[in-house]
Amino acid sequence: MQDLNVPANPLETLAYIIAQQINDHSIVYIGTGIPMVGGILAKKTHAPNITIVYESGGQDPIQGDMPWSVACPFTWRKSPTIMEMSYSFAQCYNGYVDMGFLGFAQVDMYGNVNTHLIGKDFHKPKVRLTGSGGNNDLSSLTENMILVGLQTPDKFPEKVDFITSVGHLTGGNSRREAGLIGNGPSAVISPWGVYDFHPVSKRMRVKSLTPGVTFEIAQSLTGFELLRPESEIPDTKLITPEALKIIRTDVDPHGVFTTMPTA
Amino acid sequence: MSKYQYNQEAVENLRLSDTSILDRLVDFESAREAHLKKEHAKKDKRMTIGEAVATYVQDGDILTDGGFSYVRTPHQAFFEVIRQGKKNLQMIGAPNTNQSFFIVYGCVDYSHNSYTGAEMRGIDKSYDRMLKAKRVKILSEWSHGGIAQGFKAAQLGTPGVFSKQMIGSDIVRYNPYLKVMQHPLKNDPDPVVFVPALYPDVAFIHCHAADKYGNAYIYGPAVNDLAVAAATRKLIITAEEIVPENDIRYNKQGQIIPFFYADAVVEMPFGAVPGNMPGYYYWSRQWWEKVMRFGGASDENMKAFLDEWIMGTKDQFEFVDKLGGAKWIAEARRQTKAAEGDNEDIDFSYEEYTLKHDSGLYY
Repeated sequence: MQDLNVPANPLETLAYIIAQQINDHSIVYIGTGIPMVGGILAKKTHAPNITIVYESGGQDPIQGDMPWSVACPFTWRKSPTIMEMSYSFAQCYNGYVDMGFLGFAQVDMYGNVNTHLIGKDFHKPKVRLTGSGGNNDLSSLTENMILVGLQTPDKFPEKVDFITSVGHLTGGNSRREAGLIGNGPSAVISPWGVYDFHPVSKRMRVKSLTPGVTFEIAQSLTGFELLRPESEIPDTKLITPEALKIIRTDVDPHGVFTTMPTA
Repeated sequence: MSKYQYNQEAVENLRLSDTSILDRLVDFESAREAHLKKEHAKKDKRMTIGEAVATYVQDGDILTDGGFSYVRTPHQAFFEVIRQGKKNLQMIGAPNTNQSFFIVYGCVDYSHNSYTGAEMRGIDKSYDRMLKAKRVKILSEWSHGGIAQGFKAAQLGTPGVFSKQMIGSDIVRYNPYLKVMQHPLKNDPDPVVFVPALYPDVAFIHCHAADKYGNAYIYGPAVNDLAVAAATRKLIITAEEIVPENDIRYNKQGQIIPFFYADAVVEMPFGAVPGNMPGYYYWSRQWWEKVMRFGGASDENMKAFLDEWIMGTKDQFEFVDKLGGAKWIAEARRQTKAAEGDNEDIDFSYEEYTLKHDSGLYY
């Protein structure tokens, strides 16, 4: 059991913001990690009637502990059906998924995602990362993609080192012209801010910032020029004590995904 | 002159001087020939894992498996492939963590890559090092969905499918098998990517139960297994138990791999250890933490760890003994049943393995 008196850490804040994006009664496709916490938190709070689906093909499991793999029993616990993997991605293509959440190692100014490698040389990267998994499939097919991760200038570069998943590619209509399905990413969520994309240029734009974070701070944490909204930048709604309690006692009691990594 | 016109940009990006190494994965004619030639009669195909690996895994084969990540993965059969010292294999794995073990022993030289890592247990630092040291070469990059479509195309009995996945990304620029083209029926520009049907040489699929002919039952996510079983040239079924054919006919409704795909049937209780077998046993969390954290720290660590666990055991029973024997089995069964809602909820807290703390427990 976690200490309820400790203030929310950035990952818990992230989970809360993710949950806020989810509308009740929708079908939500969830990747590994912090999106799982956000999805289950939404189900436990304002969106009890969402259907959560996973890459393993697990459909609408009843809640158990935190899944540690997208194929682990908690992703298909008493599921009415479990789809084969190719069919589970086809759900997105065929228009049966309203929203998807994915993590990233890098995201660029057009919402393109990299989970392949850090460095310019494919054959000798600084670090080889996981590769796509289902990241590319969801980004290619899902109507509304929300990207979730930590924010530093290295994680928010002007151009990602490898395009694992196409966001808005080079902006404008380029995503559609390249042949992809869906609207592409609608938001990027970091502990410091929520970002959307300019409707025409498709460049990343500040939507709201965590209280205490100014535009200048957000800009200093970003490796490219952020766009400002036309009106004043609102504060992102802070995690409520009730939601924090639900995360720590019910959704992720062992802090599997909501414990900050130690160096 | 090659039979195939590969995606030239990817061939160059991957620095493949001889593309003939790519051919067999998409060589439908030879796969069909292999399927025609294999035993079609309903015969008893039982043998030991040692015999199955010696008979059906040849050096240079394209190897793949069933399951996902560390769920129902045929780890113990894989360990036998390593113990027998097979060489020069190409490997397709959903999570390439399972490929890493082969690369350490020089069994796998080539990788068809869709995911490398252990999900929440982190990136595979061992694979990262071996890739940079050129101990393994990537032949193609995929997404999980893309490679699933390649297997599914084979099961559907088609030369390939048109997909909207991977398109526009750098994956297409690092996959010689993928070609972007115009949708053949559309007037407006509409790029699609052709994903060819994929035919591995040999696949291991670990199942809950099989009869002696190879009718094999899977409970839980089937992932790509029904497609892989149809596609592969040689199929080795390992099963937690061998049951009478009538048990499959009467009781095992659900996902069944038909017997005629199977070349060998191996009775292999605990064949998915140290991973999770739905309904039967939970994964060993500390084992995976140890392999990723201790093994991940250096090549020497990884070799020492795998020497102990793979080379230091002769079969899955010795492996289970090392994990804690009967106590491990009881805990692992309790945990997986609770995880699936088939047991009273339990507290899943445990002593995590870290570089500073090793409880010595594996449950």
